[in-house]
Amino acid sequence: MSNADRFHKQAIASELEEPVEEARNLAEQLGLEPYPVNYWIVDHDEMNELIAYGGFQSRYPHWRWGMQYDRQQKQDRYTGGKAFEIVNNDNPAHAFLQESNTLADQKAVITHVEAHSDFFAKNEWFAMFTAGRADDSVDAAAMLERHARAIDEYMSDPEIDRANVEKWIDNALCLEDNVDQHRVFSRRLDLAVDPEEVIDEDLAEKLDELGLSEEIKGEVFDEEWLEKLEAEDASVSFPEEPEKDLIGFLREYGKQYDEEAGKATEMEEWQRDVLDMMRAEAYYFAAQKMTKVMNEGWASYWESKMMSDETFAGEDEFINYADHMAKVLGSGGLNPYSLGFALWEYVENTTNRREVLERLLRVEGISWRNLTDVVDFDDVLAELEPPGAIASITSDSLDALEDVEDRYVDPEALEAARSGEIDADRYPWKVLTYEGLARRHYSLVKRQHRGFLARIDQNELERIGRYLFDDARYSSIEEALADVEYTAGWDRMFDVRESHNDVTFLDEFLTREFITENDYFTYEYSQATGGFHVSSVDPADVKKKLLLQFTNFGKPTIAVYDGNYNNAGELLLGHQYNGVMLDLGQARETLKRVFELWGRPVNLLTIVKELDDHDVEVARRRNREPEPEERGKLLRYDGDEVTIKDVPWGDVDHLAASDVDYDTKPEEWLA
Amino acid sequence: MGLRDDVDRFREVGEARRKDLADFIQYGDLGRSRQKEIQIPVKIVSLPGFEYDQRDQGGVGQGDGDTPDVGQPVGQPQPQPGEGDDDGDEPGEEGGDHEYYEMDPEEFAQELDEELGLDLEPKGKKVIEEKEGPYTDLTRSGPDSTLDFERMFKEGLKRKLAMDFDEDFLRELCRVEGITPREVFEWARGENLPVSMAWIEEAVREIPDEERGKWGSIEEVEAEVERESVQQKIRREGIKHVPFRREDERYRHPEIIEEKEKNVVVVNIRDVSGSMREKKRELVERTFTPLDWYLTGKYDNAEFVYIAHDAEAWEVSREDFFGIRSGGGTKISSAYELAAQLLEEYPWSDWNRYVFAAGDSENSSNDTEERVIPLIEEIPANLHAYVETQPSGNAINATHAEELERHFGESEDVAVAYVNGEEDVTDAIYEILSTEDEPES
Repeated sequence: MSNADRFHKQAIASELEEPVEEARNLAEQLGLEPYPVNYWIVDHDEMNELIAYGGFQSRYPHWRWGMQYDRQQKQDRYTGGKAFEIVNNDNPAHAFLQESNTLADQKAVITHVEAHSDFFAKNEWFAMFTAGRADDSVDAAAMLERHARAIDEYMSDPEIDRANVEKWIDNALCLEDNVDQHRVFSRRLDLAVDPEEVIDEDLAEKLDELGLSEEIKGEVFDEEWLEKLEAEDASVSFPEEPEKDLIGFLREYGKQYDEEAGKATEMEEWQRDVLDMMRAEAYYFAAQKMTKVMNEGWASYWESKMMSDETFAGEDEFINYADHMAKVLGSGGLNPYSLGFALWEYVENTTNRREVLERLLRVEGISWRNLTDVVDFDDVLAELEPPGAIASITSDSLDALEDVEDRYVDPEALEAARSGEIDADRYPWKVLTYEGLARRHYSLVKRQHRGFLARIDQNELERIGRYLFDDARYSSIEEALADVEYTAGWDRMFDVRESHNDVTFLDEFLTREFITENDYFTYEYSQATGGFHVSSVDPADVKKKLLLQFTNFGKPTIAVYDGNYNNAGELLLGHQYNGVMLDLGQARETLKRVFELWGRPVNLLTIVKELDDHDVEVARRRNREPEPEERGKLLRYDGDEVTIKDVPWGDVDHLAASDVDYDTKPEEWLA
Repeated sequence: MGLRDDVDRFREVGEARRKDLADFIQYGDLGRSRQKEIQIPVKIVSLPGFEYDQRDQGGVGQGDGDTPDVGQPVGQPQPQPGEGDDDGDEPGEEGGDHEYYEMDPEEFAQELDEELGLDLEPKGKKVIEEKEGPYTDLTRSGPDSTLDFERMFKEGLKRKLAMDFDEDFLRELCRVEGITPREVFEWARGENLPVSMAWIEEAVREIPDEERGKWGSIEEVEAEVERESVQQKIRREGIKHVPFRREDERYRHPEIIEEKEKNVVVVNIRDVSGSMREKKRELVERTFTPLDWYLTGKYDNAEFVYIAHDAEAWEVSREDFFGIRSGGGTKISSAYELAAQLLEEYPWSDWNRYVFAAGDSENSSNDTEERVIPLIEEIPANLHAYVETQPSGNAINATHAEELERHFGESEDVAVAYVNGEEDVTDAIYEILSTEDEPES
C-alpha cells in the first residue's frame, strides 16, 4: 500500500470514528447486543478479494475462491455492481467498508453491520458452533487462517502430491452441506457406540472358534436363541440412528482407496486433518446459510430504524441513503433483504397489535365479538401516538421531557444534554431509554402501518379473545391503552431473533397477504409440454414451495444408514424422500466422491419417479400430465462404475415421508 | 498462496474441464453461441453434491405487476432465494454463467486446428491501405528524432578502427638509435598502420635528444615494448574517442508497405425443400456453424452470404437460414446461379471465397451435370464444398454428391463430405478444410 493510499484510508477512518462509536451507542440503546466490531477501510480490489474469500482475509488455497473472484469481477463489469459491506461472524466481528462509499453509505453500512453483529452474537443457530467450547469464542478468522496455513503446508510438502490435496478438499466440499446443522458442533463426531464391537462380530464364526460340539450348540445356542440374538444385532446396526453428519462419519470411520493396492487403506494423517478442517468450516458457515433471510432482514430493519427514523444519516445524506436502501430492497421480490425486512416488520406489527387488542379486550363491555364495532381505531391510534416531547427532541425542547413518564427518559443523559455535554440536536435519542425509543418509534402509528390495527380479521380477534387471561379489567379504553407495553413488538423481535432460523421464521411469519401482494406463484415442470408452467397462486402452495427451498439448505436430506452394509464394510446412505427426487446425475458423481472418503463400495437408497414413454405419449395426446410412478432404487459405486438397480418398495418404505407434499400441480392443469 | 494463485488454478481447472471441442461440435448446444463469441460448455466446474432434481423441485416466481395465470409457461426457472454462497452481504448476488467457457473465433480456429490437425493459412487479398512500415529506409537528412545514431556510431567506430594506430609504440620506435622518419614509416606500412609521414616526422622531431638511442634496434623495441591493438585502446579509453562525422549521419524514414487484408466471403447454401427433414437440417447446422466460426477466426474480415433454395433460390439472413422450410422440389443450380450473381460484389482478386452447399443430394434430373458442375467450374473460389446429409441412408435419386465426386475426383478445390449422423460432423469439417487449393496468388 502506498503512503498516499494509507493516508487516504486513514482520513476516511478518522471521519468514520464518530459514526462508528455513536452507531454502537444507538444500537445498544435500541436493545441490540452486538459483538464488538472492528472496522476496516478497503479499496475496491480488496473488497472483491474479501468477497471471494467469503468475508475473510485468508483462506486455504483452492480454485473456488478464484472462481468467485472471477465471477465478482464479471459482475462488476456487467452491472457496475457495488459491494457496500462485508461483515463476518466473529468475536470481535470484522467489517469492511469500501473507501469509495459516500459518507451516507458508510453510515448505513455501519448501522447494518451492528445489527448483523447482534444477530451473530444472539441467534441460537450461531451458538451451535460455539456452544461446545469452553469459552464460547468464535475464533473464526483465526481458525480459517490456521486452516489456510495447514493446507498450504500440506500442499508444499514434498511427500504429499499437491493435486491429491486439492482432490481431497474437493471430495469434502461436495459434502459441505451434509452436516447435522441442528446439532452443537464438536471437533469430533462422537457416536457413543464403538463400531468395532458391532461391525466385526460375525456370530457364527465366533461360535466356531469356541470349538463347541454340535450337541452343545444345539442345546444351548438353539435356533431360537440365535435368531433372537441376530435380531438384536440388527437393531444395533451402526450407526444406531441415521447419521446426517456425513463428513464427520467419513472422517471417523472412512478409509482412503489405494489405487495401487486396489483396496481400502487407512487415511493419512493429513487426510483426516483436512476433513476435520472442512467439517469445522462447514459447521461454521451453516448458521449463516440457515438464517440468511432473517439475518439480512434484521440488519435492514435496524439500519432503517437508525438511519431514517433516528436520522443517523444527516439530512443531506438522507436522499443518498434512501436511494441505496431502495436499491437493496427493490432488487427482486424474493431477495432476502426485502423478504426478511417485510417479515420483521410483520412480527413487530402483529405483536404490537396483539398487545393493544389484549388491552382493549379487557375493557368492560368489549369482547372479541363486538370489538370492531365499539372501538374507533382512529381514536386508539391517536392515543398511541408518542408524546410530542418524545417524538421530536431538540436542544430547545428538552424541558418538555420533564412532563414525560420517567421510564422513557434517561435523567443523567438529560442532564448532560442540558449542560451541552450531549448534542441533543444531533443525537436526540441519547436522552431516551429503551422504552422511550420504543415509544418514539412505535410501529402501529407510523404512516405506512396505520391501517394495520384495523385490518385485524375476526378469526384472529377471536383467537386472541379466547386465550386471554382475564386478570385485569379496565373501565375505559383510555385506561386500557395507558397500560400498553410499547416495547412488546421489539421484545418479541429479540426473542424471535434468538430462537428462529429461516425455515421456522418463514413458516410462522410469512403471511398470505404478503404472498398475494407480491404476486408470488409456484411453478412446476410439465412432462407433457417439456417446460415449466405456473402451477399455483395459492399462498399455501407458495409457502410450501418456498419452505422446500429453505429446509436443509434447500438440499435433499441424506444420512448414513449402515456403516457395515452387506456385512462387507460397505457404506449405505439413504435419501430421506420428501416427494422430490434427487438429481440422479449429481448423485452418481457425488457417490464417486464419497467412495474416495470411504475406500470401499458405497450405496445410496433413494426413491425416484419414473414415467414410461407410452404414458408420456398418451398424456401428451390427451393434454394431461402423466402420472409418474415412485420406485425404490439402489445406486452403487464400487470404484469402477455406478450401477442403479430397482429395489422392492419395502426396502425404501422407511425413507418415504408420508406427511409432506411439495407438489403444487393442480388436477386440471394445462387443459 | 493467495487469491492470484486461486484465480490461476480456477482457469486451469476450467480449461481442463472444458468440453472437448470435437465433442462439442458433434453433440453440444451450438445455439448459445454468437458469431463473435463461442460458448463452450465447461464440464462442471462446480463440484457435484446431493441436490434435488430441478424439474421435480419446481420453484417460486414473482409476477411482474400481477399474478400470472395457472398453466402459463414461465421459461427458465428463476434464481431462487436461499441458493448461493455462504456469505453474500452484497445485494444482487447471483450465480454467474460458470458452466460456459467463452472463446472468441480466433481461439476457436486455433483450437480446431490443433484438434483436427489442420493448418489453413489464410491469404491476404485486398490491399486495404498503404501503411507506413518500420523505419528501415535511410536518407542523409531528416528530423533529429529519426537520426540513426546506432548507424552513425558504428560508422565512427569503423573509421576509428581503420584510422587509429598505436601512437605510443611508434614513438618508442622513433627512439631507436639513428632511425629516420622514413624507416619508421616503412615499418608502419609493413604493419598496415594507417599513419602518415608527416605524423612520424613530427613525432621524431619531438623526441628529446637524450632519449634518442634508447633502443638499439627495431627488433629490440618489438621485443621489449608491449603493443596495444586498436580494440584494446578503445576498450581502455572508452567510446568517447570514437569520432562522429557529419558524413556518417543518416536519418531513418518509413518504408511503404502494402497491407493486405485477409478477406473472406463464405456462401452458405442450403436445400430447404420438403425432403430436408428436421434431422437433416440439424446436421447441416452442425456442420456449417463451426465452419463459419472457424473462418471468422482465421480471417481479418469475414462476410457471409446465406442462400436457401428449393427449385428456386433466394438470399436469407443468418437468423432465418437454418430455420426455413419450404415445400417445393429441388434444383441446386438455382442456388449457384444466385451465388455467382451475389459474388460479383466480392471480386475474386480481392476476396477469398468459400462456397458451401448442403442438402440430401436430391436434385432435379440432369441439373447436376448440366448446370451445377459448369457453374462450380465457373465460379472461382478457394473451395467449393458439398455436404450431403442422409441420416437414413441413401435415397435412390439422391446422386448429386456422387456425381460431383465423380466429376471432380481428387480435385483440390472441390470437396464432398457425407454427414449421416453427429459423429460424422468433425470428419466432414476436416475433409472440407483440408481440401483447400494451395495458394496461387
